[in-house]
Amino acid sequence: MALCLCVHWLDFRAWFRADDFAWFGLAPGVHSFHELARALFSPRAQGTIRPLSERAFFLAGYYLFGLHSLPYRMVIFGTQFADLALILAIGRRIGGSRAAGFWAAVFFTLNTSTAQPLGWACVYNEVLCAFFLLLALYALARQSEAADRRTLRRFRMLEWGAFLAGFGALELNAVYPALAAGYALLCARKGLRRTLPMFAVSAVYAAVHMAVAPVPRTGPYAMHWGISILRTLGTYWTWTVGPVYGRLVPRLADWMLPAGIAALSLALAWFAARKVRAAQAAGVVFCALWYLVTFAPLLPLRDHMAEYYPYIPAIGICWLGGWAFAEAWAAPRWTPRVLATAAAAVYAILMVPQLEASQRWNYALTERARSLVEGLAGAHQRHPGQTILLYGVDRDLFWNAVRDRPFRLLGMANVYLAEGTERSGGGQDWGDARDFILPGGVAAEAARRGQLAVYDVRGPRLRNITSQFAALPHDARLPERIEMGDRLTGYLLGPEWPKLEGDHRWMPRRASLRMAAPSSAGRSLYLRGNCTEEQLREGPLTLTVTVNGMPLPAVPIAATSFEAAVPLPAAVIGQAEMRVLLEVNRTFWPPGENRGLGLAFGTIALR
Amino acid sequence: MRHSHLTFALAALALAGCKQPAKVQVQQTIEETPQMASEVSMGDSKAEPQLAGGFYNIEGGAWRWTARRFTVVLRVPPGSAQRGATLEFNFTIPGVVIEKEKNVALSAAIDGTPLPPETYTLAGPFTYKRDLPTSLLSGESVKIEFSLDKAMPPAGAERRELGVVANSVALHAK
Repeated sequence: MALCLCVHWLDFRAWFRADDFAWFGLAPGVHSFHELARALFSPRAQGTIRPLSERAFFLAGYYLFGLHSLPYRMVIFGTQFADLALILAIGRRIGGSRAAGFWAAVFFTLNTSTAQPLGWACVYNEVLCAFFLLLALYALARQSEAADRRTLRRFRMLEWGAFLAGFGALELNAVYPALAAGYALLCARKGLRRTLPMFAVSAVYAAVHMAVAPVPRTGPYAMHWGISILRTLGTYWTWTVGPVYGRLVPRLADWMLPAGIAALSLALAWFAARKVRAAQAAGVVFCALWYLVTFAPLLPLRDHMAEYYPYIPAIGICWLGGWAFAEAWAAPRWTPRVLATAAAAVYAILMVPQLEASQRWNYALTERARSLVEGLAGAHQRHPGQTILLYGVDRDLFWNAVRDRPFRLLGMANVYLAEGTERSGGGQDWGDARDFILPGGVAAEAARRGQLAVYDVRGPRLRNITSQFAALPHDARLPERIEMGDRLTGYLLGPEWPKLEGDHRWMPRRASLRMAAPSSAGRSLYLRGNCTEEQLREGPLTLTVTVNGMPLPAVPIAATSFEAAVPLPAAVIGQAEMRVLLEVNRTFWPPGENRGLGLAFGTIALR
Repeated sequence: MRHSHLTFALAALALAGCKQPAKVQVQQTIEETPQMASEVSMGDSKAEPQLAGGFYNIEGGAWRWTARRFTVVLRVPPGSAQRGATLEFNFTIPGVVIEKEKNVALSAAIDGTPLPPETYTLAGPFTYKRDLPTSLLSGESVKIEFSLDKAMPPAGAERRELGVVANSVALHAK
């Protein structure tokens, strides 16, 4: 444990970044039991449902500790310490000595796949899943050693409890019955029958999960069943016994990485073969089984190989390595000791520098995210009534501290990026950064009206550059996108629009606005909004749209939430602006309102 | 058992009664807003907002590559609306550019009004210097758009279009 804390010290000190903020973002939306249940159990992020390791971890953590990272780290490292204790205990049973378990825990601590699970809070699911798998397996092992029925029943309950709780950590938990059956078959055959009901539970879980959150057929999370599985396994093998992504310390020659991986692979294979010849195959087979079974669900993900995926499978190889190392040192001769020490040294040389580099990279990113988020809190405190525009955001900062909207946790609806931000860095992938860009014309108008505070983010602290920014010439073109809930674009709306209501505006029967005209053919006017069920009782509504005096095809609205893309006529292409007139055929008068309401709009944009 | 219930109740009370810390630490921002400058040194990151386009990141702490077209905004120095000013652009043409292009012509425009261009046939440091009449200096700031007739297109690992190496640009009152 001391070694773990020492080796992973930067992971322990890391703050939050990227997806962490998406999970924290659930917290402000929870005000009732129903909302809590939805936050805990609805599928999110590629259809995952991980109520314990992600939802409860971040929701409870945020409620109790906000964005103070130490308590989260204590939970993550506490779980990791428990994992190490269980690796030691099970490794002792596999290798037949306490030293085998001890060295397995040491090798696991040095494995580069542990960097992200310990340093990035949203990958806690790996650490917690490992805990439940190991705890259940440990309980299974203890059942075969139980001297009385009471102890047997106690460990059986513990096994089932850990197995069931594991589904709250990670989908991978579904493979536990295969591990348990393998262990029972190899080491405690009497317990084999008791593992069978667990297969049924995993099957039901898999069926329900597939029904609620089907596997994507396209994109990086699509599954590929072919020869690519073997290629993926081969790559993951090199990431298990060598550094992830095959990175090496710059001071070492390129040949050292493949040579080191080959040497370690041969050493493990030689030890395994020796054990099989000596009729001690059970432990070896179980280590391999653990590795393959826990990797199996990940191998079809050909296009999404993550550096933390070997975290749980690597435990099997660390058991084998720990066993080999302990046995070599228990031998009476010096040759096996020297060879085992040399292999361990090669492993450390391959792993430790990359482990440190990976931690430094992660820590630096989290510190940048902390600086931005805490700086935004300061900016919001100073300028509570102003919208914040960020200048100088680079791609790393965008992905790690802006994209998942941590500013919502500070009570800020929107934070924008300066125009041109998404073009900096020459061809880098900026994802959906365009949604965060405040068009130059809108920014200039907002700065002129005193609605905007502009901050340069490139230094260690946010620097207010509002007056410098306001004095710059800005692109005076009208925006292509109007978020109706954003007061900064209010100057583009006609006087008939009522005041802003949350993230939308209700129109009366007729309403107008100005926006950019398309510069090329094939563009549409995108409209997104809502109406009430009461409005639809008399049948669908009809929205007519006129652009610069030219009527567009009418839009029928038959549901309370609508999206429509109306093709724009060629005559508006290249015009200085579009004057859009919206008219709905029926309005309603809500109780207490002295105006007739038509439709509520969220977004109007060119697409 | 009763004892454990009591402990749990006390722990829950203690948790509920604890004053929760602020959800996030607040970092103070730097609010002394820098003013727009009449002279921009390419190594000064604070002046970057005035580089309106076509400049790449700072290199060597002192200079930046430009693209073929690049734009800077400068504050009009006091008194120049009455007496005029001088535009000075200090830059370097790297040997690799002259070897490849043989000569490079640099032109500039102040708020859309063109200034006389200049052609360079040698590599090395140069100053593009032009007198500006008072008629161009009536506002608080001016936008200066530079353009080169040639630039090195992106090639291989270099994904940028490269023009010249900029060192500084300034408006000096006469």
